[in-house]
Amino acid sequence: MIQAKDINFYYGDFHALKNISMQIDTNTVTAFIGPSGCGKSTFLRLFNRMNDLISDTRLTGECIVDGEDIYNKNVNVDELRKKVGMVFQKPNPFPKSIFENVAYGLRVNGINNKNFIKQSVEESLTSAALWDEVKDKLKKSAFELSGGQQQRLCIARALAIKPSVLLMDEPASALDPISTSKIEELIYNLKKNYTIVIVTHNMQQAARVSDKTGFFMLGELIEFSDTKKMFLNPDKQQTQNYITGRFG
Amino acid sequence: MEGLFSLSGAVTTVVILLITVFLFCEGLGLFKSSAVEKGYVLCVNSANPVNSLKSYDIKQIFDYEIENWINVAGDYDKEITVFRFEEVFDRYSEDELGADYNLLPEKLGEIISSDAGIIAFIPEKYTPKNVEGVKILKENNISLSDFFAGSEWIPTATPAPQFGVLPLITGTLWVSLFAILIALPLGIGVAVYLSELAGERMRKLLKPLIELLAGIPSVVYGFFGLIVLVPLVQRVFNLSVGETGFTGSVILAIMALPTIISVAEDAMRNTPRAMREASLALGATHWQTIYKVIIPYAASGISAAVVLGIGRAIGETMAVLMVTGNAAVIPATLFEPVRTIPATIAAELGETAAGSSHYQALFLLGCILFIITMLISITAEMISKRQLNKGL
Repeated sequence: MIQAKDINFYYGDFHALKNISMQIDTNTVTAFIGPSGCGKSTFLRLFNRMNDLISDTRLTGECIVDGEDIYNKNVNVDELRKKVGMVFQKPNPFPKSIFENVAYGLRVNGINNKNFIKQSVEESLTSAALWDEVKDKLKKSAFELSGGQQQRLCIARALAIKPSVLLMDEPASALDPISTSKIEELIYNLKKNYTIVIVTHNMQQAARVSDKTGFFMLGELIEFSDTKKMFLNPDKQQTQNYITGRFG
Repeated sequence: MEGLFSLSGAVTTVVILLITVFLFCEGLGLFKSSAVEKGYVLCVNSANPVNSLKSYDIKQIFDYEIENWINVAGDYDKEITVFRFEEVFDRYSEDELGADYNLLPEKLGEIISSDAGIIAFIPEKYTPKNVEGVKILKENNISLSDFFAGSEWIPTATPAPQFGVLPLITGTLWVSLFAILIALPLGIGVAVYLSELAGERMRKLLKPLIELLAGIPSVVYGFFGLIVLVPLVQRVFNLSVGETGFTGSVILAIMALPTIISVAEDAMRNTPRAMREASLALGATHWQTIYKVIIPYAASGISAAVVLGIGRAIGETMAVLMVTGNAAVIPATLFEPVRTIPATIAAELGETAAGSSHYQALFLLGCILFIITMLISITAEMISKRQLNKGL
């Protein structure tokens, strides 16, 4: 379970997230939607502290993952990121073989047992619905795969270290419709074992894959409720306008 | 306008090609020139079975290192008498040699035919022709093996200058190799620090400073080396001279560092943010990200840095000339004076007569340098291509 309490976030002087509180339940899919620059990606990246990489940022409020405030001084960020995996907007495999891409997370966590790694790689690729397509060319460069395959490889890579939460930052925005539907199917299947948070520009996608949806605008969380309700009968006029495409 | 650009391109290409062709033509002329000094011949007594001598043997004979013909001419057991042309004036007075020295060939003939062990080094125009008992040695050209396998570089030796290039090649390679061994780990270390660890302000301060260092003229580095490094090396390693190959390596390393740092740092910073984020998001530490993702990703850029560094090290002339002691001896350790190819060219080209064999030998050294650096760039090109094919 993830809990955000009164989150305010600043890039320098820019107030990017304003007083956001939210609870994300275990083994659900939560989607964040909203126009560009609304803060949804920034909010997502708080959960694995990816925003730490950007200099001159400031955060107030609490962000609790598994009962622990992850911005507490005692938190080991590397350990947190093993628990909270992430898939990025653009497929970003390493310039290594397919096998080594998936094995990377295990190796950096000090796992050397060859059989275990082999088994994990197979499991992860199977979970990411990629195993059948790549099982004969695991030694080939990851760059030989198509964009959609690369993105599923990145998902497999994230799954290999057995996170409990999977953050996805517009994972299908750079993909064609067929690859996109494969990713969506995958998200649906992964829900059984993972808590998934996905940022998307595509409202149909949010409607298809998520249990709950949060609508962001100008750094504020306008509305957060069950996806069905959000798309059929939103509470706020702004949400209604955005969903029906009147702006944004 | 278009024509102007293609013209300038064509002109540049042609000029560079012509320079290369000129270099090789002049250099390869060495193998057409005689092993004995121009305008002179070597004569022996006709009882001597020797018909021609190798360049190195001639030098050994005239240095009195070989004292018996048995060492060069099989079973002809006779002690060698070395006769240099000047000695004729000790034996005969000016009057006896006749007006305009017209009797000189005759007298030389007498001397040579009277001593079965003699070898005489005399000007071609005073050669005793068709004299009983005198044999003129056939002129040998300088051979490939004299040049490439010769271990002595004594271009001013008479009658047979020695152009053995081995000590110069080994000197160059030793100095460059150790320079790179020193500069590479340091350079990459600093590049990692600058691109990954240093704060933005520190980086903005250091980077231009380091790039500035790359522009300092090499003679200034050489001067610093001579004044500071040479005495320091002498004291620290307790040597009789501080001008050693090691000193040269250190100076070269210092000179190559700014380039290596600058190029390697650029390559590392150009690693896409997506790669870093991907690695960190998998729970990798900063260090793991550096050596498992960033350095491999920047490998082609780093290898370019290495090549630029080696290129500078191998071709560098002035600083090395000033601190290595310039002894043309194959070095046994790094703590001896050595001499490099560029230093040799710079030091000697001014003293040679155009077209002489020494002059040609220096050009050939230039060719060797050219080939070495070309091989290095080709290798680098191949490495970075392989990297590209593997990854991007």
